[in-house]
Order: sequence, then C-alpha cells, then structure tokens
Amino acid sequence: MSTAKTASTFWRAAGMSYLQYLNKSASTVRMALKEPAKRKALTYEKFGYQKAVWKDGVQGEKVVVGIVQ
Amino acid sequence: MTLNFSLPHETIYAGAEVSQVIIPGEAGEYGVTVNHVPIISQLQPGVLQIIHEDGGGETEKYFVAGGYALTHENSVTDVTCPEAVKLDDIDPDAVSKNYDTAKTAHASAELGSLAQAEAQIEMETNKAMGAAIGLTLA
Repeated sequence: MSTAKTASTFWRAAGMSYLQYLNKSASTVRMALKEPAKRKALTYEKFGYQKAVWKDGVQGEKVVVGIVQ
Repeated sequence: MTLNFSLPHETIYAGAEVSQVIIPGEAGEYGVTVNHVPIISQLQPGVLQIIHEDGGGETEKYFVAGGYALTHENSVTDVTCPEAVKLDDIDPDAVSKNYDTAKTAHASAELGSLAQAEAQIEMETNKAMGAAIGLTLA
C-alpha cells in the first residue's frame, strides 16, 4: 500500500491505516482499566481474519489474512 | 431520538429512546437531540454522554476510543466504537503511568517512525482518558 506524499494525519504519514490507528487507540484504553474489567477487555484484543474465494457456489480454500490494511 | 450504540463485541443500545447524546467528534464535541441535521462524524478518544428520557434525565457516560457517529434524517443516531468503557473502570494510576511511558517512547523514537506514531496515539488517548476522570497530564 503506498503512502500519500502529504498525509493528513501523523499516523497516516507513519504508514498506519485507519484501522491500525483505531485498534491502537482501543488497545490503549484497555491497558488502563481496573480489574476485573481489564481481564475481560483483554480477551477482545486478539482477532484474526480468514479469507475464502467463492466460485460456482463452492467455497474455496480458507486463507488466514495476516493483517487488515 | 433513537440511539444505536455498538461495539464489535457488544451492543450497548439498540433502538433506545434517549433525550440527547453528546458526541466527542474529531472536529469538536456536539450534542444531538431530535430533528438534528443529518451528520456523519469521526470520533476522537473522549467521553460519550447519553442523557436518558426517563430517570430524571440522568446522564450516562462512556469513554470511547474512537469510531464513528451517524445521525440520520429520522433522528436515529448510530454510534460505533472499537471500545467503550465506563469512567469508573478507568484506573488513574495506570493512565498516568502509561502516559509517562508513552511520552518517553515518543521522545526517543525516530521522527516519523511507526514507533513514534504509536507512542503519540498512546499519549493522546491516555491524555483524553485522564481528562475524562479529572487528571491533568502534560
């Protein structure tokens, strides 16, 4: 993914996507919580994506997507 | 007006009738009541305030980490955030400590690097959390 020559925000200029920026912000909030809210919130930190291409009504092979940009 | 407030892992309000919602928009804080002009705004880390119709107009506050708020023509407002927490769940000592750690990391990171951007996000979010719970972080 190419970065714009003049990025509008500091995070875009550093090569981050909006999703990465948003998730970093959410992560920062979770790190500052009291127990037991923190323990519960940290379970939401990890998530992953799988991608599969459908063809002729048949789902193709599932591929793990490393990072969402 | 109707409020839909959801997070990826939880729906906090779906079709709730409220009196007013005060939203921490990127361009500034604004309040939405019935018949508000349709608006889409990106949120900054800050406090979302929900003023309920009954219960004597009680105000419920959440600290949101960002997201989007859309107000439609029919006075329905959708707020979606990656994370929202009650102010009581925020630990002031952790906020203060994490802010200081991020500030140090920001100062020592290379200008324009990913590490510096991440440190800046941490600083800004912790500063906003501090402001929400009455802590002034410089």
